[in-house]
Amino acid sequence: MDYQKPIPLKNQDNQPYWDGADRHELLIQTCESCHQYAHPPGPACAKCGSTELSWENFGSDIKGTIYSFVVSYRPFLPGFQNDLPLIIAIVELEKATTVRLIGNIQECNPDDVKIGMPVKMTWVDITDDRALPHWIPAP
Amino acid sequence: MSNIKERYAIVGVGESERSKNSGTTPLHLALDAARAAIGDAGLSPKDIDGFMSYSENDSCTSHQLATYLGVRPKYVKDILGGGSSTEMLVADAIGLIETGQVNTVLIFRSMNGRSGVRMGGGGWDVDMLQSAIDGGSFIIPYGAGSPSQWFGLFATRHMYETGLTKEHLGHVCVSFYEHAQRNPKAYFYGKPLTMEEYLNTPNLSSPFNKHDFCLESDEANAIIVTSAERAKLCKSRPAYIMGIAARQCVSHAHYWSNLSEVASDYVAAEVYKMAGVKPEDLHVASIYDCYSWVVLRQLEAFGIAPRGEVGDFVAEGNLRMGGRLPSNTAGGMLSEGYTHGMNNVLEIVRQIRHDYKGTERQVDNCEIGLCTGWAGPDIAGAMILRN
Repeated sequence: MDYQKPIPLKNQDNQPYWDGADRHELLIQTCESCHQYAHPPGPACAKCGSTELSWENFGSDIKGTIYSFVVSYRPFLPGFQNDLPLIIAIVELEKATTVRLIGNIQECNPDDVKIGMPVKMTWVDITDDRALPHWIPAP
Repeated sequence: MSNIKERYAIVGVGESERSKNSGTTPLHLALDAARAAIGDAGLSPKDIDGFMSYSENDSCTSHQLATYLGVRPKYVKDILGGGSSTEMLVADAIGLIETGQVNTVLIFRSMNGRSGVRMGGGGWDVDMLQSAIDGGSFIIPYGAGSPSQWFGLFATRHMYETGLTKEHLGHVCVSFYEHAQRNPKAYFYGKPLTMEEYLNTPNLSSPFNKHDFCLESDEANAIIVTSAERAKLCKSRPAYIMGIAARQCVSHAHYWSNLSEVASDYVAAEVYKMAGVKPEDLHVASIYDCYSWVVLRQLEAFGIAPRGEVGDFVAEGNLRMGGRLPSNTAGGMLSEGYTHGMNNVLEIVRQIRHDYKGTERQVDNCEIGLCTGWAGPDIAGAMILRN
């Protein structure tokens, strides 16, 4: 069955991130001027305004901890009606604690999710050429 | 910069009927609200030379409104915006009057928010959302399409850090629903809420159940701003503007990198400084309440209760009549109606003017009131009024 949920739209600011995701790799924009990570990626660093930007490849083995979360019992967007309850979390990266990514926590009982819980990135192929990173509880 | 403290006032407030299905256009609703506000001020439409509105592309224009009031305006402005737009437009109006470009400005918000374009979702084009929202590709594919989810991520973390509980959210809801029982025009008039009922209501999206969400309603609201000199010519009692912080921001947020500050934190310092008052000087408040948690976070931002003690503050009944700071006394957007904040402005003006004197709805002897606006964690405004 065709994938029913929204697929990330690539644009000139986020393309390296989503191209990387399609290869099951996490790339995070970094600022060469103030040496901070810039996520979400943009046309300039949101902390100092610099356009000296580059991308750091974190590879495919990504760990983090849950920084915050919600559990939604109603689909607020089309395509999620069979995914309820849906856990949406902000995950702090283990190797870059100033970077926080929003994603779904899969394979997790909503009653068990809590702040500080360790999670691991999992890559889900959603179409022939697109992949979406999600998270699952870390062992 | 000249000091504008108490040199400007809100001299008229008015609203249309409030319903779930108005059966009419935003222009008709806006005309009803504008005529009511003009009548409240004791002015004639021709006394208004500036018109402003905010909308989400779901309203009529200021030019249309002026035209059908039979007025040739010197100034019209319509902005895209929701929460905190009222405070910003009031500040803009003051700037125009201060520089002699207009004399008196009417600001309105008109929407078929229930029967027309609904903020609560439904019908949004997901690719449009992804493009329109900064960082949209990082949230929409994960099902995060509602402010309840975006603000909920702030709320969960904030509650974890400060010890706030679901019951504390409930105290906001129960307090505001209680106010609505004194307001026959409130949506939830006749429908009080008990804490037991609140706690037994399942979440729509944690930490929020349906009571934590604001309403959706069809209605228009209008207010009139003019100088203190011209206010003396109006029949209404002026609500003088002691201080205003039009619109402060923190970096765009959707929303994950910095959950430890909100724009309201910066608004508070500005508005108190201009007004020359402290949190303990406030007698009544209208606190932007698109969600219950947003009220708690603003109580902290505005120093009404210290961080970590906000839960106790609301649990002690301090938002209720007779409490330390009766707030959203018409029921707020949780239980009266929803115009992205302007209905809360109408109420605080009426409290400050003592319109309800002799009834149980009047906050006794209230002289100074705080009105806050919240477009999101990243954009906010506020004003302080006195009688």
